[in-house]
Amino acid sequence: MSSDARGWRIALIPDTVLNPPQQALGTLPDVLRVLEANGYGVLHLPPPGAHRLLLAVIADQVAEYAHHGYAVVAIGVRAAPDNGLHWRRLAPLLRRRGVAPPPRHLIDPNGDIAVESRRLSSFLAGYDLPQEERRRWRV
Amino acid sequence: MPDLEPRKVALVANCLLNQNAKVCQGAHYPGVVTPVVEALRSRGYLLQQLPCPELAFAGVRRWWAVYEQYDTPAYRDHCRRLALAVAPLIEGYLRRGDEVVLIGLDGSPSSGVRFTSSRPDWGGRPNRPVDDWQVVRGRGIWIEELEAELARRGLPTLPATGWALDMGRLDEADARRELEEFLDSRPSADDSRGDEPAAS
Repeated sequence: MSSDARGWRIALIPDTVLNPPQQALGTLPDVLRVLEANGYGVLHLPPPGAHRLLLAVIADQVAEYAHHGYAVVAIGVRAAPDNGLHWRRLAPLLRRRGVAPPPRHLIDPNGDIAVESRRLSSFLAGYDLPQEERRRWRV
Repeated sequence: MPDLEPRKVALVANCLLNQNAKVCQGAHYPGVVTPVVEALRSRGYLLQQLPCPELAFAGVRRWWAVYEQYDTPAYRDHCRRLALAVAPLIEGYLRRGDEVVLIGLDGSPSSGVRFTSSRPDWGGRPNRPVDDWQVVRGRGIWIEELEAELARRGLPTLPATGWALDMGRLDEADARRELEEFLDSRPSADDSRGDEPAAS
């Protein structure tokens, strides 16, 4: 009854990764599946565009996680505008909230899918907060 | 070439893609709620994650709460800010002709669609030894405010249902059956059922 299954790890992902357009199918790994397999939750970034308020709202959420023992990463796509991550806007919003921009992993849409999928998986599996931070928060 | 075929878009409660948003002891999956994502993706839905209203208001270490505790002017203002943040995207989908559905979280004081949680006498020292809150019919506060913002923009009420994660117990098979029945009762369901994966 008191068990809780949360994985304590979260990935920011571009819209083009969560909802690949028809023409991108077959060029990107199934990122959602890889995230599921590694026990990550998802924070969905909006498609290209201003989205000023929505990015601020997302930055609020990332800051809340980062300040309380959650590991946050960002998965971008090489060649997408700003890697699909709105980084030029999001990174300053995070800094203003006292959060260092999370580590980024970029998928190469021209790379071999199986290889890209494995690279992503090993990045995700290998990332977490230091032991001391995990012990502090994750009871 | 721009593809203006109407699409199917599911607005999903934040924690259906990210169980880390749940209150302590509320997460049933490590991250993604796989059966919800499978049901939606296999029917061709694009996913649009909504922000979690409770997380950015009361924090990840918040106590459990019921509808009456969140029903405050400050929380409703916060929900309206979130609604203003996502409404332009939702309006874009609808104006483009996409079919948009809303999948909330039944039993949640914020994201409930068919059901929310109620206990008017909750408050004070958080020492309730048993789950004595009640599931009652009605929207959560976030869904109320989101729908109000969409209505202000002259947009139609979205077809909506909830995944029964916060009903005191989760029967995954039942929840999945209900979600699939909802999706398959949509007028567009016939178009996609049995499609070849590459058909357009």
